Amino acid sequence: MQRILFGTLAIASLALCLVFPILHFLGRIEADRFKSGFLFASIAWFIFATLRATRKKKSSKT
Amino acid sequence: MAGKIAALASRLDQLYEFDREPVSLNKLQSGGKFAGLFAGEHVAATEFVIGAFFVLHGVTAKDLVFGLLFGNLLAVLSWTFVCAPIAVRTRLTLYWYLRKIAGPGLTVIYNIANAILYCILAGAMIAVSATAIGLAFKVETPSLSDVFPTSWGWVFITFALGAAFTALAILGFEKLSKFAQVCSPWIFVVFLAGALAMLPKLGVHANFDNFWEVATTKVWNGIAAAGQDKLSFWHILFFAWFCNLAMHVGLSDLALFRYAKKWTYGLFSAFGMYPGHMLAWICSGIMVAAVGREMNPGLMAFEAAGFAGVVGVLFAGWTTANPTLYRAGLALQVITPNWPRWKITLAAGTLTTIISCFPIVFMKLLDYVAIYGLVLMPIGAIVFAEHWILPLLGIEQYRAEKYQWMINWRALAVWFGTLVLCFFLPIHLYFRWLPGYLIALVAYVLLQAMKKNKN
Repeated sequence: MQRILFGTLAIASLALCLVFPILHFLGRIEADRFKSGFLFASIAWFIFATLRATRKKKSSKT
Repeated sequence: MAGKIAALASRLDQLYEFDREPVSLNKLQSGGKFAGLFAGEHVAATEFVIGAFFVLHGVTAKDLVFGLLFGNLLAVLSWTFVCAPIAVRTRLTLYWYLRKIAGPGLTVIYNIANAILYCILAGAMIAVSATAIGLAFKVETPSLSDVFPTSWGWVFITFALGAAFTALAILGFEKLSKFAQVCSPWIFVVFLAGALAMLPKLGVHANFDNFWEVATTKVWNGIAAAGQDKLSFWHILFFAWFCNLAMHVGLSDLALFRYAKKWTYGLFSAFGMYPGHMLAWICSGIMVAAVGREMNPGLMAFEAAGFAGVVGVLFAGWTTANPTLYRAGLALQVITPNWPRWKITLAAGTLTTIISCFPIVFMKLLDYVAIYGLVLMPIGAIVFAEHWILPLLGIEQYRAEKYQWMINWRALAVWFGTLVLCFFLPIHLYFRWLPGYLIALVAYVLLQAMKKNKN
C-alpha cells in the first residue's frame, strides 16, 4: 500500500517538474519561479522515489 | 610468455565463473524489463555534450532529425538482427563465447582494451560533471581546442570529483546503482525542462508556430563553429548508429540479451535510443544554442533549469561514471592478482581521474565514441562470422576450444589487421567502421577456410 502511495506521489512530483517549464514557456510564470518550482518538485521526486524504492526492497526481502 | 597468459586467463575465468553456464529458461526476463533497462541506460552525462556538439558542427535541422531517426533505427535493428539472435541461441556472455572462438589469451587482450576504453569514457563523464562544479567556483571551462588542462582550478575540480566518485563507488556500488535508477527518469526530465524553458529565450512563440524557423536559423542553422568540421545527414546517421557499436555490432550486449525470451526483444532498445539518443540530444542542442553556443554543460543546465539543472549534470555524470568505473575495474581484474574489489576500483578510479583532467576527452567526445566502437568492432565481426557463416560453409567452429588454443592467431590478426586498414581508409572517421566490419568478416572467413583446405 505504501509503495503505491509513494509511487503515485513520485510520479506526481515528476509531472510537476514538467508543469513548471511548460508554464514558463507559455509565459505564465517568470524564470525564477520556474527554477525554484522545478527545484522543489525535483526534491519531492527524490524523496518519494527513494521511499518507494526502499519499500520495494523491504517487501521483496520478506 | 605463454605461461603468463595462461595464468591471466585462468584468473579471468575464475572472475567470470558465475556466468559460465548458459542462462537457464527460468531466469529469462520479460520484455518490459528490457525496455526499462534501455530507457534508464541511455540518458547519460555525455548526452549534454553530444547534442550540443551537433549544433557546433553546423548540422542543419533537417539533417539532424532524419539522421537521428534513421541512425537510431539502424542501431535498434543491429541489436535485433545482429546481437539478440546470437544471444538467445548461445545464452552466453561475449566473454565465454569469445573464449570458445578466439581462445583465453585473446579474451585477456580484449578485456584490457575494454578496461582502458571504459576509463576514458568515465573520464569524460567526470569532466562533464566538473563543468557544473566549476560554475560554482568560477573556474573557466576549457575551450573546444584544448587538449591539456587549462588551469589548476580545472585540475583540482576534476581530481576532487574523480576522488569523490571513486570513493563512493568503493563504499557502495550497489546502493549507488539503485540511486542511479531513481535518478534516470529525473535526468531525462531535466533535458526536457531545460530545452522547453530555453525556447522563449530563442524567440519561440507560445503556440509553436515559429518553432521550425527558430530551429533552422538559430539552433541547427548549418554554420559550424570555428575549428569544427561541418557534419551532414550521413555523419549524423552513422553517429547515431555507431554510438553504441561495441554493444550491438560489437556484441557486448550478449550479456544482456542472453536473458531475453526471444530475439525480437532487441526491438526494446528503441526505448533507450529514441528518448536518450534523439530527444535528449535535440534538447541539449537547444540549450547550447540558447547560451551562445558555448560548450559548457554546467552553464547550459544552470541557465536552463537553475540549481536543479546543475545538480542534474552532476548526477548524470556521477550515476553513469559509477557503473563504468565498476566495469573498468572488473575488466582490470585480469592483471591485478587477488586484489580486493576496493583496490581495483581505486586503480580504475585513479586512472580515470587522471584522464578526466585532460579536456580533450570531452571536447573530442564524438571522435572518441567513434574510436571506441571501431576498436571493438572487429571482435563482433569475428564472432558473427564464426556463429553464422562458418557452419554455412561447412567450416569447423570453435577450434580454439576444441584444440585448446591459448590464442586463435587468425582472430588476433583479423582484429589488428582491420584496425590498421581502418586507420588508412581515406574516408571520415565516422564511416570507417562499416567497411572495416565487412573486411574483418571476409578476412576471418577466408583465414578459417584456408585452414580447412590445409587440413
